[in-house]
Amino acid sequence: MVLIIVLAIVAGMALSAQAAINGQLGERVGVVQSALLTFTVGTVVTALLIFFFEPPYQATLLTVPKWQLAGALFGIVYMVVMVAAIPRVGVAIATVATILGQMVMSLVIDTLGWLDNAPIELNYWRLAAMLAVACALVCIYLANQQQEHVNE
Amino acid sequence: MNALFVFLIVMAGMGLSFEAGLLGPLGEQVGHLWATLSIFGVGAALLWLIRFFTPQTTLQGWQSVPKWQLTGGFLGPIYVVALTLSTPVLGVAMTMICVLLGQITKSFAIDYFGWFGMPRRATRPLRVVALGCIVLALLFTYLGAR
Repeated sequence: MVLIIVLAIVAGMALSAQAAINGQLGERVGVVQSALLTFTVGTVVTALLIFFFEPPYQATLLTVPKWQLAGALFGIVYMVVMVAAIPRVGVAIATVATILGQMVMSLVIDTLGWLDNAPIELNYWRLAAMLAVACALVCIYLANQQQEHVNE
Repeated sequence: MNALFVFLIVMAGMGLSFEAGLLGPLGEQVGHLWATLSIFGVGAALLWLIRFFTPQTTLQGWQSVPKWQLTGGFLGPIYVVALTLSTPVLGVAMTMICVLLGQITKSFAIDYFGWFGMPRRATRPLRVVALGCIVLALLFTYLGAR
């Protein structure tokens, strides 16, 4: 479990490095084209990995229920919403609103076991964790706001 | 005023959790790399269509873009594969908290060292407090999962 936790943290680091790189690229070529490039390279890399490393499974992407393939839509909708909203609400609010949405929905999915996930009981520890995230959000918001103030 | 947009972003953030929640069970059934391919394949196809049918600035000089700026695509699969591996074990909420922790620490480093051509800036004390809160949240979910 600890190993998986480390893996997920590293994934977050990769995500933020990717955001920094894509931000630079996006300024030059536009958001859609930089995202397209990212997804294309990602597709190619994943395809290569599948060819050489993926063991065979009984089910395939073509046999699972179609709604299970909808994941990419949410990523793209998120991207479009952010592009439209950030000029209007600023990065500080956008960041906090994103994390708020993520946390609320992930609790719902975990607790109710939506989307075929194993249900996880909502205990006091998890509620305390959400409280801590809320504190972090307040700090992130204030810090980002100072930042924007300085940039003006 | 902008309440509508804030609401939209919250919904979009919920969508990200949905994506993670879909990926875990999908990866268990068809393989983690195949699940990852479904994200990138569908995403690339849709983005290609969006690019094709919306006005875009004409591309001048892909050649002049520094090559390292094209490497973002190598990092994306790391994230998606990790999501498919970890949501079945940790649950969606704990996975999201881990990702958040990684993001915040890495942004510290990026800001502090000025990596990837970002301007260097000093670490703000408030961000350190935020990081502390997230570590605490991770600890709490860990205790709650035992």
